[in-house]
Amino acid sequence: MSLLVATLWLVNVTLDTAGQLAFKAAASDPHAGDGAARWRHMASRPWIWLGILAYVTHLLSWIAFLSLVDLSQGVLLASINIVVIMLAGRLLFRERLTPLRVGGILLVSAGVAIVGLSG
Amino acid sequence: MKTWRFYLAGFALLLAFDTVVQLSFKLTGQHAFPPEANLAWVARVFGHPWIYVALIGYVGNFFTWMSLLKHAPIGPAFAASHLDVVTVMLASALLFHEALTPMRLLGAGVIMLGIVCLAIAEKGSPQQGTAPSELATLDAMAGE
Repeated sequence: MSLLVATLWLVNVTLDTAGQLAFKAAASDPHAGDGAARWRHMASRPWIWLGILAYVTHLLSWIAFLSLVDLSQGVLLASINIVVIMLAGRLLFRERLTPLRVGGILLVSAGVAIVGLSG
Repeated sequence: MKTWRFYLAGFALLLAFDTVVQLSFKLTGQHAFPPEANLAWVARVFGHPWIYVALIGYVGNFFTWMSLLKHAPIGPAFAASHLDVVTVMLASALLFHEALTPMRLLGAGVIMLGIVCLAIAEKGSPQQGTAPSELATLDAMAGE
């Protein structure tokens, strides 16, 4: 993996995670209310806009990444997003990590490492 | 029996959308090659028809996923939505003649095993522990 590919991979994971967390923060605000008022509340706060911004830039970094690696390799390497988002959820939203989840996280990470290290 | 068929058709549609989206992203990337950190590159990306195919596929993916999630249990839904790794790999081998090297196949197998573990974990988790599944939901919406 070249330095540019590795950098784009990291940028890609970071933006995806940031987007997911921003949407999570926007959606789980307990003061948001219901229906149209909920959408107005979300639109008046930065989270949903940060999420959208992260997603748009993620789209571009993903296309740049895919122009440098095989698609089959790219989607496998991107599976690490599942792991990073779960760990971030654990840190920021105090979600539970059961043994089965830890096992799943380790397996996904091992699979990504196999694909990444084999070029 | 009827719901079973509904889920199967729904997930098949979801996989089809996901695969089309990723193939279109790859084609867009190829046409915008080499990547540059400037507006000219962004203009190249959006000046290509495949990016619009990808965006339409995104929308289709979103609505399919949302209607499935209304009823489908999150564990199997999570696993099924990440099966796109397999369909995208097969499609890239067929259409782009990419090599399915032994290491890639091994990596894909280990990743799928991990996804099955996470799916089972979602199924058995109590209510307050289901938040990662919502994130997983958004992740699947992102089509990766």
